[in-house]
Amino acid sequence: MSKMSNIYHPQPIRPLVDYSLCKAKPYIMHIDLNSCFATIEAQANRLIRNRPIGVAAYDTPRGFVIAANYIAKAKGVKLGVNVAEARQLAPGIVIMTPDPAKYRDAHQKFKQLLLEYTDDVHPKSIDEFVLNFAGSPALRESRFKNSDFRITMQNIALEIKEKIKERLGEAVTVNVGIGPNRFLAKYAAGFNKPDGLTLIDSDNLLDFYKNQDLVDLPGINVRYRRRLFMAGIATPLEFLAADRWVLQKQVFKSIVGYYWYLRLRGYEIDAAESKRGSIGHQYALSNKTADVDELKKLLIKLCEKTGRRLRKNELYAQGIHLYLGFAQAQNGSPRTKFDGQAITNAEYQRPNYHDRDELPASFENIHRLRAWKMGMKVDCRLNSTGDIYRAACHLLDRAVIYDKVKLISVTVFNLQPWDPEQLELFEESRSLRAGRRVSQAMDSVNNRYGEFVVTPASMMDMSGTILDRIAFGQVRDM
Amino acid sequence: MRESIDEPVSVVFYYDAKAHHVQPYQVTWQNQDYRLGKIDYWHKTKQGNKLIHHFSIADVDENMYFKLGLDTETLHWKLEEFMTK
Repeated sequence: MSKMSNIYHPQPIRPLVDYSLCKAKPYIMHIDLNSCFATIEAQANRLIRNRPIGVAAYDTPRGFVIAANYIAKAKGVKLGVNVAEARQLAPGIVIMTPDPAKYRDAHQKFKQLLLEYTDDVHPKSIDEFVLNFAGSPALRESRFKNSDFRITMQNIALEIKEKIKERLGEAVTVNVGIGPNRFLAKYAAGFNKPDGLTLIDSDNLLDFYKNQDLVDLPGINVRYRRRLFMAGIATPLEFLAADRWVLQKQVFKSIVGYYWYLRLRGYEIDAAESKRGSIGHQYALSNKTADVDELKKLLIKLCEKTGRRLRKNELYAQGIHLYLGFAQAQNGSPRTKFDGQAITNAEYQRPNYHDRDELPASFENIHRLRAWKMGMKVDCRLNSTGDIYRAACHLLDRAVIYDKVKLISVTVFNLQPWDPEQLELFEESRSLRAGRRVSQAMDSVNNRYGEFVVTPASMMDMSGTILDRIAFGQVRDM
Repeated sequence: MRESIDEPVSVVFYYDAKAHHVQPYQVTWQNQDYRLGKIDYWHKTKQGNKLIHHFSIADVDENMYFKLGLDTETLHWKLEEFMTK
């Protein structure tokens, strides 16, 4: 993104076309902790503050960099490069493995601070918060108040920036975006990195859409850009000028087009918080394997973690999904099934290699040969680790393992609150409750003495695998 | 390179009631004393009910980085990580 002035433009360029922009006051503030993991590491360790830093899932040469500070980014270290590449791009780079407890602590301190300004604080991820100041008493406080509302909001943002430095440390910087809706606030936060402060409203919106690429808009990826190109829309300004019906009928072919029409103008349509639909865990295997017994050992730990979160939230699930991602086969090497037989050309061509009749259409295998996945709905209530594991094994036993597995993921869905519990008359429900009580007893011991103090026997010798990690995106179980 | 270890260490630690400030002052590790500088990051974790305070801190000469853990159940200190310049 190009650098733009973060000071409100006193004489904005008036549009010749009426874009029907939203004239609402810019009440929404988006705060983004710059390069979160790398910044927190730099704060904790002053010896590395002026060096390129990469936080990688594993510090082995093929581990992926999941966060890099600005020094490393300037040398070309992007998210997703592996450690060996990062070392080539930025000689002397400090590679660190994640310390999730530290990042969660920073998130909590960050949130506590923001709650002092408004009670309408929504964490969007570990390092992003959206604040709504509509009705907030902070707007009336004399140290912020100004006859120009935009300056009041910028005064609040400046104080928040200062306090973040006080509470989290001098190396921690944030980008703040202010706008009339969440979209424009997030878009504004993308300018002047790092440590930026940018306000966008109806008066200066066109300035910020100028000379930008479509993919600079939050939520527009290369696929959306391709669709927009097909409709003759190549820039954010052309996107803004596009007719609602063109977007709705031609580009997005759904109501999504209308949402974009509103979003771009500053109307709020993203405020609804989505309900939690699923809980899951995944693990990237350091030692790729096609051995089902090995996979089952990993599966039990993933199921235990999933079950812990289900029980902590007093939920049960009525569906489960299993995903296996395969290592890419070397060029020319024969692909084999798990039983060692070569996959025939005819099988390779089949759109769905496994038995489709057993599956609902929506859960069919779509990543042929690169991954296998299957989901199923169940009649019983999945809550105990044992029940989740049995259901996951049921899926794993049906898996066609084309190659060594590099990624395994378990997700439970169709979540329902456990309370009030619907009692059943039949024997089955007793065993279900017994399983749940065993899991609850184990949870109590683990709550008292620490995670994985008591585990299912099949999880023996697993203490060094499937480490604590922070998910990208929403953070509901902090 | 940051090294993770889990080794008991001796720590001189003070509390300033006026400033409401705590400060690890000196750590003794492998028969060597290090005067500690400002706390760069402090966070807490729980292992079950056990609360542990973690202090990320460099020595005053900024040649060594330490992450010290104080177990509030036993009041024992451990060196959890270190790094040399």
